[in-house]
Amino acid sequence: MILEPIRPTILSVQRIPHAHASVLQSYGADPSVHSSLGLVTCDQDDSTYVALDEATKQSPVDVVFARSFYAGAENASGRLSGEILGVIAAAGPTEIDAGLRALIGCLEHDACFYNGDERGEIAIFPHVVSSIGHYLSKESGLPLESSMAYLVAPPMEATIGVDRALKAANVQVAKLFPPPTETNYGAAWLSGELSECEAAASAFAEAVIEIGRNPRQI
Amino acid sequence: MSATRELIARLRRQLGEDDPLPPAAAAERLATPPKRVFPKARSASEYMQQAAEHTTALVGIGQVGTRYATDVVLQFQAELAVAHHAVASLLPDGWREAHGLLPLNTRVDDHASYLMRPDLGRRLHPLSRQLLESEARKDVDVQPILADGLSALACVGSGPRVLEALTRECAGAGLSLGTPVCARFARVWLEDEIGEVVRAKVAIIILGERPGLGTGDGLSAYLVHKPTLGKTDGDRNMISNIHARGLSPEDAAARLTQLAAAMLEQGLSGVELDLAKLGKDLDSRVIRKPDKRQALIEVSK
Repeated sequence: MILEPIRPTILSVQRIPHAHASVLQSYGADPSVHSSLGLVTCDQDDSTYVALDEATKQSPVDVVFARSFYAGAENASGRLSGEILGVIAAAGPTEIDAGLRALIGCLEHDACFYNGDERGEIAIFPHVVSSIGHYLSKESGLPLESSMAYLVAPPMEATIGVDRALKAANVQVAKLFPPPTETNYGAAWLSGELSECEAAASAFAEAVIEIGRNPRQI
Repeated sequence: MSATRELIARLRRQLGEDDPLPPAAAAERLATPPKRVFPKARSASEYMQQAAEHTTALVGIGQVGTRYATDVVLQFQAELAVAHHAVASLLPDGWREAHGLLPLNTRVDDHASYLMRPDLGRRLHPLSRQLLESEARKDVDVQPILADGLSALACVGSGPRVLEALTRECAGAGLSLGTPVCARFARVWLEDEIGEVVRAKVAIIILGERPGLGTGDGLSAYLVHKPTLGKTDGDRNMISNIHARGLSPEDAAARLTQLAAAMLEQGLSGVELDLAKLGKDLDSRVIRKPDKRQALIEVSK
């Protein structure tokens, strides 16, 4: 069914209360600031990026590592690998726990992909972050607490959808990710007023659905 | 609910895709059925047809595809109707008196309670008991009792012939016979009370048997030695299938007389009675010729 949420599955959540300095360093943490790590794997990478950002809003944690795995969850290396490994770092385990709880809450109740066609063979991510946290702010170069339309779709759909979104709403490109990403999708981060971001996300979703119904114009 | 989920749900409503029901799971792909699902030819195994020659049971009736053949179904329905009709039949009023039989009634008032209350059908009505005490001959060798049982049709049909033949046979064997009586709404065990009242040595009740498919006209006869209330089925001997396609009334009467004479001689009845001393035709181990099913319907080919 079209635009039905595809709920993400959290495959594993682990904590390292006192991580080894080498591990901290190699995963991008700073041993002089961070001592604890929280790790999560999930079968939806973009939902997890949003959820990691949510963690930085609710707890003093830093997202030190977040990488999608090649070709997505359907080609995962193991049953717990999924599509992404996200790592948050903090001064102590208490902050890590609060951050992981925020992250899990966001994955369970907010960020998710949606069906872009009747057969469930096109997945889209027309997500609106009303106020970005430290992680997305750093990655996108936008000021903290800006609104962002976080748009992801398969290559053709993403290209047409982003073009349609930019024309439908008063939004600016913060970053474009032409295909292929690690998971062979295309994506865009658009910024603007919250209502404009919402209009952009709606236009993006509508465009994807339309392409799914009429893939060949000629 | 999150802002994005609300936004997308709104968009979905707007696109007219807002179906509250989840989509049905895709049905498993079924194999294409064979072209001829309903064959018209009737098939039956030759072995079963030969076996069917030896029984009235519904074997060797063949099949058409996965169904019974039409004539089999119609025959079955007709036979069942015969059985239903027999169970529902009643002794005609005045029939017993017209045939010179002493009319007795049980404690049952109507046909419905006769079917539901076997216990009441086993006891005489007080008035009938008085009638029996005042009218019937006492201290006899054999007390014959005719009754409707589960088929009044059978009772009316061949009851008088069996009784007549029995009277003749008993006279020939030198047995004294009680006043012939006929009971309405009676069960087998009624013979215990009647026999007790007339102080008979042997009581014989001849009554319509539970109809089977196509046999609504069968009589059975049950004999008991020294009838008293409280006798069980283990104390009785019986012969069944007294009807046009089974045992003839004359043969039945001869066997009944033989059995009664054996009971008087051995002073026993039921499982203890030694049947080996009787004639060969009473030996239950002799295999009878099979009955033939009567065709009740015609199917034009």
